[in-house]
Amino acid sequence: MMHQTIRSGSPTVPDDRGVHLRLDGLSKRYGDAVAVAGLDLAVPKGELVALLGPSGCGKTTTLRMVAGLIKPTDGRIVVGGHDITLMPPYRRDMGLVFQSYALFPHMSVAKNVAFGLEMRSLPKAEIERRVKEALAMVRLEALAERKPRELSGGQQQRVALARALVIRPSILLLDEPLSNLDAKLRDEMRNEIRDIQQSLGITAVFVTHDQVEALSMCDKVVVMRGGKLEQVGTPVDVYEHPTTPFVASFVGRTNRLEGKAHGDGRVTIGSSEIRVPGRPGGMVEIMIRPHRMKLVETGSGEDVAAEGMNRAAGRLSRVTFIGDLLQYHVDVDGTEIVVEAASDHGRGFRTVGSTVTVLWRVEDTMVFGRSA
Amino acid sequence: MTAIAASMAPATPRLALGRTGTAIALLLPIAVINAIGFILPVLNLLRMSFNEALAGGGVREAFTLANWTGLFGDTFYVELIVNSITVSLGITLATLVVSYPIALYLHRSSGRWRTFLTVLVISPLLTSAVVRTYGWIALLAEQGPIVSTIAAMGFSPPRLMFNTTGVIIGLTEILMPYMILSLLAGFGRLDPRVEEAAMTLGAPPAKTFWRVILPLTLPGIALGCLLCFVLAVSSFITPKLLGGGRVFLLATEIYDQAIVTLNWPLAATLSMLVLIIFGAALGAYARVLRAID
Repeated sequence: MMHQTIRSGSPTVPDDRGVHLRLDGLSKRYGDAVAVAGLDLAVPKGELVALLGPSGCGKTTTLRMVAGLIKPTDGRIVVGGHDITLMPPYRRDMGLVFQSYALFPHMSVAKNVAFGLEMRSLPKAEIERRVKEALAMVRLEALAERKPRELSGGQQQRVALARALVIRPSILLLDEPLSNLDAKLRDEMRNEIRDIQQSLGITAVFVTHDQVEALSMCDKVVVMRGGKLEQVGTPVDVYEHPTTPFVASFVGRTNRLEGKAHGDGRVTIGSSEIRVPGRPGGMVEIMIRPHRMKLVETGSGEDVAAEGMNRAAGRLSRVTFIGDLLQYHVDVDGTEIVVEAASDHGRGFRTVGSTVTVLWRVEDTMVFGRSA
Repeated sequence: MTAIAASMAPATPRLALGRTGTAIALLLPIAVINAIGFILPVLNLLRMSFNEALAGGGVREAFTLANWTGLFGDTFYVELIVNSITVSLGITLATLVVSYPIALYLHRSSGRWRTFLTVLVISPLLTSAVVRTYGWIALLAEQGPIVSTIAAMGFSPPRLMFNTTGVIIGLTEILMPYMILSLLAGFGRLDPRVEEAAMTLGAPPAKTFWRVILPLTLPGIALGCLLCFVLAVSSFITPKLLGGGRVFLLATEIYDQAIVTLNWPLAATLSMLVLIIFGAALGAYARVLRAID
């Protein structure tokens, strides 16, 4: 990987149409530890892009470099054709929403929202009008004179959102904004943030470790691991066509098997054999989504090996009821496979210990070559 | 063993105190000590301030307002009071200005470095104020390093000792550890994320300081100022030595009246006045805290 050194002086960069935010070989090292390693990314104007990954993957560091709160070791940050790598945060015109809200505790809600406008020395009347608008947008007009500590977590997060948006930033940055909210509120805020982002047509970068947030809210998902890009694509792409086993297992649930491919579409796993798409060879990792699999009782007549289907026989070791779903844990040759089925009024429980057959389509089998 | 202990437990008589009872029992020793060692002497002092002073150090039991009216009728004492309060406020302000950056840096540092710096900040307290004052006398003296350096640079050498300047310099340094510790104790609300939020919203460092950092550290500032003001008003050795008998403050005057002139009723009156000033300072502190919240 070639590392570019930080360039300054030439503020303009050849324009690439439609790209609003571009990261060129962006890196951050702390001594020997690499937090972000040569990240290249282009965010088109008006898109909401998720940086998704486990903690420590460098997603927050990347966001903080874009905001100007961390100085990159290498690489460039380009916004609208201007190199802003060395620009201090207070000139960057970005709205940042923190996981911990970071509201000013000594100011009222209205004062919090007005802060960015006051820093821009706008006339008083305009500040008042825009604060009102912003608070109306997040439905908090009634709480304008309250102090942050008098608000609930969800209300505080909406103030933080209003405060970041009222300055009409060029880019909205969201650092795990929903992580401190409870599940129900999180769903609400997810839709709210998405609606506001779309109605304003603002370019936004959303850092999260929650694949549901990334998939449901964003135009594009950037999966990161160990400071590097693992895969960039639409939510459907990343979920349905993961390019690496890491993406397959991090985005959505998967069953993971290991086997030996014969180069003709057949893979031997333990004592059984399945078919996979393509003609891989050597040692392979097999991933199958639990909801793509079907459980049938052995000997029920449904378990015949149809064309284009894989089958595996096993023993039902556990059934978990999780409301909308039933999870069947099947022991196939000592490997546990999880099958998910929609729960129909609590029906569909099968006897634990019975012999069952798992069926899934060949095309739903994801295969990854094993380098080692 | 445990079974035996458990079965025996109900047999031992329990002190049925309850929560409040326990609190009172725990507070009783210090309450007694405070009553005997502080409240009684203060009441005694109050009584003394209404007694009549006789020539040669005698005291006659009486009830006269002469000490109090004499105090406010005498321009020397009015000036003394005003001077004491102004000098103490000046010392408090100087201590705050030099301590604040140190406290902010300490607040932001972490790990062993922070421990080391904290010890460094507190270490002057290991030496008595007398020793440190003599240190300042050596430094500020007419032939001392500071004055001679200034003279060598071609400026007319200033008087840094045996005047109010010397007292302010000495007391500022002596009070710094108290100020720094108070500031640190009051910096709890200062969250680095909040400073970052201010910056991303367009506030340059100076504006971030005035609009966010300073307001959030006001509780620490109020606490440190209260403590240092009280210590400055009541400090006696440093003004005595660095003032060289030319700086007249309440604490030094109380000493002179009680020990040199032997006018105990006047000394008691001045002492009560200092207590009133402390009360006013506490009241101001409470008001500031309420305003911050």
